[in-house]
Amino acid sequence: MKREEFLEQMQDILQTDETLSFDMNLEDLEEWDSLSKMATVAFLDSNFGIKTTFNDFESIKTIEDIAQKAGI
Amino acid sequence: MTQYSKEDIFIVTGASSGIGYSVAQKFNELGASVVAIARSVDKLTQMKNSSKYPENIFIESKDLGKNIDELPNFVKSLKEKYGKLKGLIYCAGLDYLKVMQILDVKTSKDVFDINFFAPVFMAKGFADRRNHAPNASIIFIASVAGVYPDKGQTIYGGSKAALIAAMKCISKELATKGVRVNSISPAYVETPMYLNNFENIGTNIDEYPLGIGKPADISNMAAFLASEDARWITGQNYIMDGGIF
Repeated sequence: MKREEFLEQMQDILQTDETLSFDMNLEDLEEWDSLSKMATVAFLDSNFGIKTTFNDFESIKTIEDIAQKAGI
Repeated sequence: MTQYSKEDIFIVTGASSGIGYSVAQKFNELGASVVAIARSVDKLTQMKNSSKYPENIFIESKDLGKNIDELPNFVKSLKEKYGKLKGLIYCAGLDYLKVMQILDVKTSKDVFDINFFAPVFMAKGFADRRNHAPNASIIFIASVAGVYPDKGQTIYGGSKAALIAAMKCISKELATKGVRVNSISPAYVETPMYLNNFENIGTNIDEYPLGIGKPADISNMAAFLASEDARWITGQNYIMDGGIF
């Protein structure tokens, strides 16, 4: 998956009209709630085989952090 | 009763007959715009022409049982065409009153497609924050067969029970997004579906304390549940049965 496509997928996970960037602080987005986190866990698992838990989100501050988990 | 403006856009499925027809006409009467979905353009056109404000009814011909995967995108396309959506009232349904000896898998799956998977995936599209307006509402028309199933309702009742369970779950997921989700479970209502099965029903309609229902009984309830008067109501299944159960 290319980085642009990754960003588009995150747009769908967050269900936001806001234009996303990798350095965006997730805590600034009201859409970054428990459902979005659950969707992110499933997204990382089904697309990249990466297992994450809710505890991992303590160290995830930006979309770039999620991208690094995914290895892209 | 809450009045709407034409900027309040409601999707009504199964809008060409029965309860869906009545719901589409009711919301139109209350001033809302209605995106009316069913398979038959002719029947939808008849419904539109007999409505109070035909200019506020928008016809979309669609078989909801086909390409269920695509239904969230279909809802998105409706938002792009008409604007952010205020409500989804899913009235489409397939009945299947058959005893165990003659059940078949293909028809059973078709029933689940229309009665369970299609409403869930329409709701998935509606639930996307980009597609719905603030203080929006989803209403599923379920059935008393989902709560008090009788002989011959293994599949139909099962599909409606599944829908009621899904409604509860979705209501919890969407509460913080400003979307309320409820269902209405009617007993026998005078609709084409009822009349087609009159001989198979095996229920003595004289036993209904208040008689059998009319489509308007259900559409009045839907209008209430979608309104601000019901702002504290979500995750509920309303049985409307004329007192029979």
